[in-house]
Order: sequence, then C-alpha cells, then structure tokens
Amino acid sequence: MTSPAITSAKPPATKFASRFDRFQVGLLGLAALAVVGTLIYGGYLLTVMQLAMIYGVFCIGLNFFMGYTGQASFGQNAFACIGGYGSAILCVQFGWEPLLALIASMVIAGIFALIIGYPTLRLRGHYLAMATFSLGLITYDISIQWTSVTQGYMGYAGIPPLGIGSFTVDSERWKLVVLAVILGFSFWLSLRMRDSRFGRGLRAISGSENGAAALGVRVPRFKLIAFIVAALYASAAGSLFAHTVGFISPEVYGPQMAVMTFTMLFVGGVGTIVGPIIGAVVTSLLQEVVRGSGHFQDIAYAVVLLATLIYAPKGLSALGALFRRKKEA
Amino acid sequence: MPSGVELIQSLVNGIGIGLIYGLIAIGFSVIYNASGIVNFAQGVFVMLGGMFAHTLLMRYGLPMWLSAILATLLTAVAGVLVQIFVINPMWRRNAPLFAIILATLAVQLLIEQIVILTLGDQPRTYPEFTAGGPLKIGAIAVPYQLFWILGCGALMVFALTQFFERTRMGRALRACAQNREAAALLGIPVERMLVVAFALSAALGGVAGILITPTQYTAYLIGTPFGINGFIAAIIGGFGSPVAGLVGGIFLGVIQSEAIVFFGAGFKNIVSLTLLLIVLLFFPKGLFGGLAKKT
Repeated sequence: MTSPAITSAKPPATKFASRFDRFQVGLLGLAALAVVGTLIYGGYLLTVMQLAMIYGVFCIGLNFFMGYTGQASFGQNAFACIGGYGSAILCVQFGWEPLLALIASMVIAGIFALIIGYPTLRLRGHYLAMATFSLGLITYDISIQWTSVTQGYMGYAGIPPLGIGSFTVDSERWKLVVLAVILGFSFWLSLRMRDSRFGRGLRAISGSENGAAALGVRVPRFKLIAFIVAALYASAAGSLFAHTVGFISPEVYGPQMAVMTFTMLFVGGVGTIVGPIIGAVVTSLLQEVVRGSGHFQDIAYAVVLLATLIYAPKGLSALGALFRRKKEA
Repeated sequence: MPSGVELIQSLVNGIGIGLIYGLIAIGFSVIYNASGIVNFAQGVFVMLGGMFAHTLLMRYGLPMWLSAILATLLTAVAGVLVQIFVINPMWRRNAPLFAIILATLAVQLLIEQIVILTLGDQPRTYPEFTAGGPLKIGAIAVPYQLFWILGCGALMVFALTQFFERTRMGRALRACAQNREAAALLGIPVERMLVVAFALSAALGGVAGILITPTQYTAYLIGTPFGINGFIAAIIGGFGSPVAGLVGGIFLGVIQSEAIVFFGAGFKNIVSLTLLLIVLLFFPKGLFGGLAKKT
C-alpha cells in the first residue's frame, strides 16, 4: 500500500518493547521457551508444537481480517484447503519443488480470495459470518466429492517435506525449527503491515466504517486486501501442514479447522499483536492436556472455550492490562 | 434425464424435509428478532428432540404422544439453560457478535458430547406415528408421516401467529424485535423475553426433530446439517414472519431434493450453500419480503 501521492507522517517511532506491554513480551517469551523446551524434550510434543506453529501462521492472517479490521470470516479454512491441496497435487502429481508449490498455491488462493471476496465482503455481521462459513463448507464438500482431483476421503500421501534443491528438512526437530522461523517471519511481516498506512486504515475501519471513510480510507478496498492477506496466510499454513505431516485429507481443512483457529484467536486475544501466536500454542497444548482425560476431552475443551469467551473475552494477551489496572487501583 | 415420476417423488420428499427446515428456520428467527443473536447451535435442539423422544419411547416405554410432549418440554428446558448459562452472561458483558457466534458453536460441541456420554453415539429411530403406508398415488409414494409433518407444521405456524398477535407476551417479544431499548423503557423485561425466545425456539427445533426422526434417524451429529439448512431457509424466507420461514424451508427442501435427482446425493449441500450465497448477495432481505414488512 505505498502510493506516491500519499504524504502520511510516519507513525511515531516506537521501540520494540513499547509497542507491546511487558505482559505480552513475557507471553511471547514463554511461547519461545515452549518451543525450545520441546526441542530438548522431543517425542510427541514435537508434532504438537509443529502444528501450533502452523496454526499460528493461520491465525496471524485471520487476525488481520478479524482483529484489526473487525470483520468475521468463518471460512478461512477454504484457503488453507486450496493451499494444502495445491501443494499436494503440484508436488505429488507433477513433481514440483515444495517451496515453489507453496508459493504457487498462495497465488491461486489469493486470486480466489479476490474473486470471492469482492462480492462477499459487501455483507455485514451475521450475514458475512454465514456466507464465509458456507464458503468453507462448500470447499470442504468439493474436496470430498471431486475425487478425480482431490482423491476424496483417500487424501494425498507422500507429500515431500520442505526444502531447497537437494537440501530437505527431514528430522522432526529441524521441521519445528524451520516452522518456528517461518512463524517468526510471518509475525515480523504482520507487525510491519500493522503499522503501515494500510494497517492503520484497517484499525480505523474496525473503529467505525463511516469514520474511516470520512478520513479517506477506502473501506471496501482495504477490507478486500485484508481478506486477501488473511487468505495468503491461510494458504501458506495449509501448504505447511501438507509438507510437515506429509498427508492430507478433507477432514484436515473441514469446518473443525475454522472453529479451532477461531478458538485460538479468541483465547490468545483477537486484535492483539501477540494473540494469534499465544492462542495457537496455548490451545494446542491444552488439547493435548485434556486428551489425557479420555471421553471428557471435548467437554473440557468446550467448557474452557466458553469460560474464556464469557470471562476473558479479550483473551490471554489482554490479561496484562487487567493486572495493571488492579495495581493502579 | 430423470423421469417425471422421479421428479414428482422427489418433490414430495422435498416438501417433507422442507417443512422441517421451515420449523428450524422459524426457531432461528424467533431468537434473532428478539435479541439480534443468531444461534448457530439451533440444530442441536433438533437432535435433542429426536433423542429425548426416542429415549422416553424406547427406554421408558411411554406412549408416543406423551413422549413427544415431554421431549418438546425437555428441549425447551435445554434452550433455557443455554440462554441462562451462556448467552445471558455474554449479553450482559456486551460481548462482540463473533464471540457469541463462537460461543453457540461451543455449546453445540458441548451438548453433542454430553449426549454421546449419556445416551450413546449409535444412530436410532422409532416407528412412524401412524402404522402402515405409504399412501400410493399412481407410482408416487407418500409416507403417512408426511401428513403428520404437514399437520403439525401448520398447527405450529397458526399457534405462533396467534401467540405473536394476541397474547401479551407475544406482543412484548415483537416489541423487543423492533426496538429493544424502547421496549425496555416501556417496562418490558427484555432479558426475560430472551429466555422466552430461547425456550420457544428450542421447542420448535425439538418438534422438528421428533417429527423427522421416523423418516430417517437421529444421532448426536445430525445437529450441524439441520442447523445450517434451517439457517439457509431462514435467509431465503427472510427472518420475518413464521409463514415466510416455512415457505423458505419448503423452497430449500424442494430444490435440495431435485438437486439430488440431477447431480447425485453428494452435491446436495453444495447446491444449497450456493443457493445461500446467491440469496445473500442478491436478495439480502430474503426472497419473500422479509424484514421490510415485519408485522
């Protein structure tokens, strides 16, 4: 979003730490610690944290559309689906390089987001939520029914891991390291975009669409770009899943994924900077903890989610503000 | 090209399932009009109605009519519990729209899991209300249950219309639908009206579940498809009057069954979801009037 005619003042120069509160930096540190701890400990936790990193990428994108812009999309799993199947088909059927397939899938997903988003984003509120939800469902059904391309419930197996040329990331530990680096890069990118003119425009839209329009923000265009950004992140996450696990099937990108990533975003704190990452890590770990309790896992999961939504609607990242207010009082 | 008999047969089937969608759609609009909330867990009430009726009928050996009434009441209680423990706390805290939608989805997951734990995960069904049938008209088979669905559907719509027009409580609900703040200023207890709306909506879903179970089956996971189709019906009908919801449901049911004839069963959801998108984009107030001429 750099246009030569714009002479906007740069945002006040901010040091890294002052943009977050200390609590959020602490949370981020804990997340990093969890990654390092997993690297040392190894075992099944590696897989859990790999998925947490992938969903983190997804949620960072979702946060652009949901958090900063204040719109609803329950259908981002559609773009993860495009990314995942794009990677799988290009690599397995046509023998492409994984990295190339990932980028190509992102381009396809972006074009789809443009075509779908243009009419859909005129809707608001519940209508937008339901329209996007049904987009996700349609994609899910197509991925099951269009067996000549997607192989239906069979899914794709043997998707090669990420790599460049002859160097491939094979070991589980290195996969986690690479995914953490990718997540860090996505995070940095999202920070840059958040504080750009574009990002500030988005946050103006979430405050008041009319107000933003009065200030010269092109609301429909900004919304559409935020939607596409979210779709690109989702597609990348879908591809990363395919390359990391090596197998995909329609269920991976089903409506469950939409609800789960939504949960992550809300647990971490929608609209906060570190929320998506914290939410992805905490929710992934939480799922593993309650998985031990047998039949009650989904019940525990739903109860925790409801409690978060009712009592901590701004998520974990906002808890810092809560403590601070208490101290001052 | 499918034969004429096939087309008419699927039309009959479509009307049956469409009426069920219509009842669910009315449930959606009752809550939506009273609170502005879309309860995405609406399909769960359909599942609960069928499961309760089956349990009372098969496990406790109650007669059909008693099981149906008790199951409807129990489902209404479930709706009230959801309102009191989940929706109301969020409502009071002014939770954002998307948080409430997510919460209703979590409620759906929660209730489904509780049903699995207490009633089991096996699909189940019970006999039609009237034994015998189907009624043969030429080559077309009309199951007797369809008449029950038709009769109960008409009865529910009539009763609801009377309730909204004639009773004090119904008028209060309509006042909430038009302007909640003004309604509160006039002394209408809006929060209590929300409880009523949830009870009513859950009961409607429960009746739909009790009626449809004999023609197919019920299991913990049927909530999502019924909920989504009910929502699509509500969008087509346009959240307005009970009649509009019912008509929207029949429209959707018929299109869906014809789609099965033409494209195969796998594509029925794709067709109905595409229909939803078309209606949302081009007829945002519903195909049949909708909000504009709300009574």
